[in-house]
Amino acid sequence: MPPSASTNLGYTPPDGGWGWAVVFGSFISIGFSYAFPKSLTIYFKEIQEYFSISYSEIAWVSSIMLATMYAGGPVSSVLVNRYGSRPVVIAGGLMVGVAMVMASFGTTILHLYLCVGVIGGFGLAFNLQPSLTIIGKYFLVKRPIANGLAMAGSPVFLSTLAPLNQFLFDHFGWRGSFLILGGVVLNCCVAGSLMRPIKIKTKPPVSKTTDENDTAKPDVTSQTAGQDKSKQSGCAAKVSQFIDISLFKHRGYLIYLVGNVLLFFGFFAPVVFLAPYAKHQGIDEYSAAFLLSIFALVDMFARPGTGLVANTKWIRPKIQYFFSFSVTYNGLCHLICPLLPGYSGLVVYAVIFGLAFGMVCALLFEVLMDLVGAQRFSSAVGLATIIECGPVLLGPPISGLLVDIFMDYKYMYYACGMMMLAGGVFLFIMNFYNYRLLEKEEKEKQVEDRLEIGSAKELAANEEDKDNEEKIRLNTEEEVGKSICEEP
Amino acid sequence: MPRPRRAQHCCRETALFSMANVRHLILLLLYCDGMNTETTPSPPSDPVFTTRKAVSKGQNQVITEELAILTPQNIELLCNLTDIPNNPPNITGYWAKDGQEIENSEETVNRINEQYVLKKTFSIQARDLGNYSCIFRENKAQVTFVLDVPVIKDKRDKPVVSYTRDSVVLECKLKYTPNTWNWYKANNTEKELINVTANPLNYKIFNNGNRTKLTILNLSEEHSGKYICSAVFDIKPSESYIELKVLSYTEPLKPFIAIVVEVIVLVTLILLWEKCSKPQHDSSSAGENDVCSEQTTKLTRDESNGVENNTARRRKLDD
Repeated sequence: MPPSASTNLGYTPPDGGWGWAVVFGSFISIGFSYAFPKSLTIYFKEIQEYFSISYSEIAWVSSIMLATMYAGGPVSSVLVNRYGSRPVVIAGGLMVGVAMVMASFGTTILHLYLCVGVIGGFGLAFNLQPSLTIIGKYFLVKRPIANGLAMAGSPVFLSTLAPLNQFLFDHFGWRGSFLILGGVVLNCCVAGSLMRPIKIKTKPPVSKTTDENDTAKPDVTSQTAGQDKSKQSGCAAKVSQFIDISLFKHRGYLIYLVGNVLLFFGFFAPVVFLAPYAKHQGIDEYSAAFLLSIFALVDMFARPGTGLVANTKWIRPKIQYFFSFSVTYNGLCHLICPLLPGYSGLVVYAVIFGLAFGMVCALLFEVLMDLVGAQRFSSAVGLATIIECGPVLLGPPISGLLVDIFMDYKYMYYACGMMMLAGGVFLFIMNFYNYRLLEKEEKEKQVEDRLEIGSAKELAANEEDKDNEEKIRLNTEEEVGKSICEEP
Repeated sequence: MPRPRRAQHCCRETALFSMANVRHLILLLLYCDGMNTETTPSPPSDPVFTTRKAVSKGQNQVITEELAILTPQNIELLCNLTDIPNNPPNITGYWAKDGQEIENSEETVNRINEQYVLKKTFSIQARDLGNYSCIFRENKAQVTFVLDVPVIKDKRDKPVVSYTRDSVVLECKLKYTPNTWNWYKANNTEKELINVTANPLNYKIFNNGNRTKLTILNLSEEHSGKYICSAVFDIKPSESYIELKVLSYTEPLKPFIAIVVEVIVLVTLILLWEKCSKPQHDSSSAGENDVCSEQTTKLTRDESNGVENNTARRRKLDD
């Protein structure tokens, strides 16, 4: 039995039609959000020489951009809750575009930190959250496929932006490239314009409807069975006008957060160190770069594939288990990697890792939507990203430290594998527990419902009787009236 | 032929490595620095010992080994041949420079412990730099030593791009530290030395051991062209070039404006299409939605065991 949070939208999502255009828009936005900071590293060497700074100082640009992108999550959620996805994405696209144009005229590294790092990071945050949120609004039945397709934007854009950036750099140097990239990133505005706010048709009179699906007020009807209604008082009420912090009482959400913190410590570091590890083994630069291409290619297809698999009727109800499985698989993959010898071993590892990485990424936000429902999703993802900010940023440097201390990559892989395995096992156990509790709560609710229905049926029967009486009375009155009229 | 004795006392050690694998050709090099053949002996500088291994699988192989020569010196080149079939008691080999056989260099070596060692000492000055090969005629084995000044590697194939009124940094680096670095600007076939003291506003040179940086300030289009960095060694300078291209800001502006126009056009089209399709969308989709909603509730009922129905019913009753 899945958590029942999915349908308190108040309407049935279209699951198609314009939804696929929205998925395409999300594909573009998510692609830029994840791939853009990583693809900027091509310019770092030249900028480093230009400003005469060390490598770590220039690497801060990417780190600040990524950090702001994650930290800007709650701000983005607040804005999406208030204004809907479309204006926020368009604003985000404009912000990044302007930031890159300003950066192309930069005279100090601080200028770059502010423009590319802070403003650019916020702009990307304004792209990421709304794209994810709007998928939940347009899709329900086919949501895992939609999520998988949208998340596939990241590897596709990374493979496209990397050669594009190289080309721009060769022809225009870093300043001209930043200017042109500012223009390219404005295409996020195109993606935003595709994200039509969903029009709610008022249902037949019996059911209650929410008119706008992006109201600021939090969802007052109770969430998944068994959760306490959020007690709103004073300050908490004001904050929850903007963002739903009652989520922190949501059992499933807390499990998700803890699992995510564990898994993100070991998530990105293996990607970052794949090429250096290959070079360390004595493999030449081009083959090492080719490994990353293999990884990205497998990732590209793994994400929609996972979406398709997750959509099947066997997996969809138990999608939390599927997610836990993919995290555990990721962990095992890293534990085995150091044991594979030679270049062919590394190729096998890249393929398996690409599959695992794609699976986790495709399911990452789908399970969150499954847990909290589309209505609260935007607040949930905002709060989740700001908490994930820590492990995401700390993960690669800590792994780098491990490599420096032990002068061997295998300990770093073991550490990452253990972290992900811990996260996966934790999620498995806690989700098993959560599903059991939810089933129990559902059964209790069903018993209550039956009682209510029983009494409601009586009420309805009474009402019908009354109606029938009214009708009979009206008929008799009409007849009387007619007979009166007919009388001459 | 007896081994030349003059190089004897400057050599401290000879190291012989051999690979255990079958059919390998192993090279050992020994550098001897110091004593010239002239009458006035100069004090010997510290000998540099380098041992390098080159492995070849199979007998008919041509191996190339690169050696960096910084100062004029005497150098002994040594070729070690192993795993020859039939193990003849002796083999003949000769030396060649740049593909041309050196006269009177043919030598017959005897087999010692399954190995054949051919060596020769060369006196290397600036004009003597080149490719030295030891060739074993019958076995078709050949080892080539490339003697040259250190080559400046990781040279950019593509030109460095910068903009007018901006500044640019050109860098060269080597494995070895030269005596000094010089920068030249190439004008067609001529080289013009860049003199920082004469032109302190426009040029800055920063030398740091094995790397050098040339900073050109206040760029203009005339600064475009080839810049040559020269590492001066005792024996000969080693040179490399970097190409600089100076553009004006209008160059990247054109694609930028093209992309911005494309974005504006697409956004306008999408929003217009939405406005135009709105009236029909509203009127026609009311009926559709009911049908769609029934279907989706049925599907979701199958998938989620009737949870949605319960919540919908609960909501109805709540009203």
